[in-house]
Amino acid sequence: MNTRRHLPPAGDAVPYLAAVAVAFGAAGIFLAALGFDVVRAYSTILLTSFRTANGVIQTLLKFVPVLLLALAFTVPLAAWKFNIGGEGQLIAGAVGSAAAGILLAGLPAAAILPAVVVAGVGAGALWAALPAWLLYRFGVSEILTTVLMNFVSFGVMDYVATEGWPDTAAGHPTTIPIAPAARLPLLVASPPLHAGILLALGAAGAVAVFVYRTAAGYELRATGANARAAMLHGIPVGRIAPLALVLGGALAGLAGAIEVAGVHHRLIEGVQSNYLLLSILVGLLARGNLVAVPPVAFAIAVLDVGARAMQRTMMIPVEVVFVVEGLVLVFVLLSDVVRRR
Amino acid sequence: MTFIRLVMLTLVPYVLAGQGTMLAGRAGVFNVAQEGIMLTGASVGFLGAYLSGGNLLDGMLLAMVVGGLFGLVLAAFTTTLKMDQFVVGLSLFFIGLALSTLLYRLAVGVTLTPPLIPTLRDIPVPGLSRLPVLGEVFFRHNALVYAAVVLSAVLYLLLYHTAPGLALQAVGENPMAADSLGINVAVMRYATTVAGSMLIGLAGAYLPMVYTATFTDGIVRGRGWLSIALTFFGGWSPHLILLGALFFAAVEVLAFRVQVTGVGVPYQLILMLPYLATMAVMMPTFRRLRVPAFLGRNYDRERRLQV
Repeated sequence: MNTRRHLPPAGDAVPYLAAVAVAFGAAGIFLAALGFDVVRAYSTILLTSFRTANGVIQTLLKFVPVLLLALAFTVPLAAWKFNIGGEGQLIAGAVGSAAAGILLAGLPAAAILPAVVVAGVGAGALWAALPAWLLYRFGVSEILTTVLMNFVSFGVMDYVATEGWPDTAAGHPTTIPIAPAARLPLLVASPPLHAGILLALGAAGAVAVFVYRTAAGYELRATGANARAAMLHGIPVGRIAPLALVLGGALAGLAGAIEVAGVHHRLIEGVQSNYLLLSILVGLLARGNLVAVPPVAFAIAVLDVGARAMQRTMMIPVEVVFVVEGLVLVFVLLSDVVRRR
Repeated sequence: MTFIRLVMLTLVPYVLAGQGTMLAGRAGVFNVAQEGIMLTGASVGFLGAYLSGGNLLDGMLLAMVVGGLFGLVLAAFTTTLKMDQFVVGLSLFFIGLALSTLLYRLAVGVTLTPPLIPTLRDIPVPGLSRLPVLGEVFFRHNALVYAAVVLSAVLYLLLYHTAPGLALQAVGENPMAADSLGINVAVMRYATTVAGSMLIGLAGAYLPMVYTATFTDGIVRGRGWLSIALTFFGGWSPHLILLGALFFAAVEVLAFRVQVTGVGVPYQLILMLPYLATMAVMMPTFRRLRVPAFLGRNYDRERRLQV
C-alpha cells in the first residue's frame, strides 16, 4: 500500500488555466489544419450555454446528471475506490423510478413523487451493492465489477422497455409514460426546467458535509488516505469502502430518477448518454474534492452543450471536445508532478 | 464442432488483450485503459486498412503503433513521473474512447452506408488442415488465431524459462530486490507496457477485420474490461490466460447461439451472460488468485521504505 493514495487537493488556478489553454490551443491548431473556422467553433462551444434562455436551461439539465454521477464517482474515490459503474447505477435508478411511476399511478403527487425518487435511489444503491458485497466478501476489484454491472444494466433496461411496459407506438425501446403526478414540478415553465436541480445541489451539499464534517466521513477519508494506518487506529476499513460504493450508487440512482421523473417521464433506452465518462472526468479534474465537483461539473456541462451546438452548425465532431477534455485532464495531472519537484 | 471453430475465432481479442495486460502487470504496471486502447485500435486498424485500399496488414501495424503510443504514455506517467496508475489509466481510457470516434468521423465523415474493408482470410495449414474434423476446427483459421496461440506459447517459455523472463517476474514481485540485483526496473516497465499495449491495440483491430468489416462506436463491448478479469483468472500466467480466454470465448459464442436460435429465454438476459458469468466465476476464485505482489504500485528507488 502506498503511504499516500489520494489526489493532491485542488491548488491554485494557474495550472488549470494553463492546461485548458494548452489543450484548446493544440486542438485549435488541429482544427485549423483541417480547414475549420476555429474562432467560430470555440465561440460556439463557450457561449452557446449563455446566449439564449434555451441554452441556459439545456446546460442546467445536463449539469444535473453530470454532477450526480461525478459525486457517485468521487465519494468512493475518497476511500480510493473507483466506481466506474455510475452508468449502470443510473440505469438501475431510472428503471426503479419508472417502475414506481407506472405501478403507483393513481396515488396523489405527495405520495408518488417521493416514492419515485426513493425507488430510483434504492435501485441505484442496490446495483452498487453487488460489487460492494463482492469487494467486502471476496476482495474482488471494484474496477472490474462496477463496470461489468453496466453491461448487465443495458439488458435490464432493454427488457423492461420492450417486455415490461412497452410503448408500442414508439419506434425506440421505451416504456409507457409515468403517472403525471409522478413528474417533478417545474421551476421554470418555458423552456422547462424541473426541480431536479434542487435535489442534485442538495445532495451535493449533504455529501460534502457528510464526508468533510462527520466522523464517518473522516473514517472514509482516512481509509482512502492510508488504509493500513486507518486499520491500526480501529477504523473498520473492510466495511467502509464497500459502503462508500453503495452511497455512490445511491447518488447515481438519484440521477436516474431525476432523468425519468424530470426529463423523459418514462424509461427510455439511451438515458445514460455519456454521463459516466464526463463524470469520471469531473471527479479527476476536481481531484476528488467534493467542494470542487459542482463548479467543474458545470464547466463540463457548458462545454458539452456547446460542443453539440458546434456539431450541429459546423459539422465538427463533438468528440473534438472530449479529446480536449482528456488533454486538460492529463495536463492538470501533470501539473502535480511539476509542483512536487 | 463448428462451436469449437467459432470459439477459436472468438478467442483472439481476449488472448491478445489478456497477454498484453499480463505483460505490463508482471512488471507491476496495472493497465486499466484496455477498453480505450482497443477502441482506438479498432478505429485506426479499420482506417489503416480502408485508406490503404484494403490492406489489412497496414491496419494491424497502425493499430499496434498507436496502441504502443498509449503504452508509452502510461509507462512514462507512472514509471518516470510516479503518477497513480489507475488515474492515468482511466484518463487514457477516456482519451481512447474519444479519439477512436473522432478519428473515424474525421476520416470517413457521416455516411449512410458505412465503408467496408475486407475481412481476414482463412489460411489452411498445409497438410494438417486435411485432417478429418480436427483440420476444420483447428487448422483452417485466419493468421491471428494461430498468432494468438503461438504468442501464448512463446510468452510462456519467455516468462518461465529465460533469464529476462525471470527478471521480469522479479520486478513485479519485488522491485527493490530486482533493482539491487542490477535489473533495470524502469526499462522492464517501459518495455512490457509498450509491448503489451501494442497487443491490446491489435486485439482491437481484429474486431472490424473479422466481425463487422467496419468500425462502430460499440464494437469493443466491454471486451477490454473483460480482458482484465481474464488476466486475474489466468493468475497473470500466459498458459492459464489462454485457457481462460477459451472460457470467455465459449460464453460469448454460446450467448450468440442462444440469441439466434432462441430457446424461450429473453435475448436481453443472454446478452448479459458474459458479464454475469465473469462475476460468478470471480466470486469463489478471486481471493485465491496469484497476483504479482507489486501490481498497480509505482517503484521509487529513492524512497527506501515501501510499505
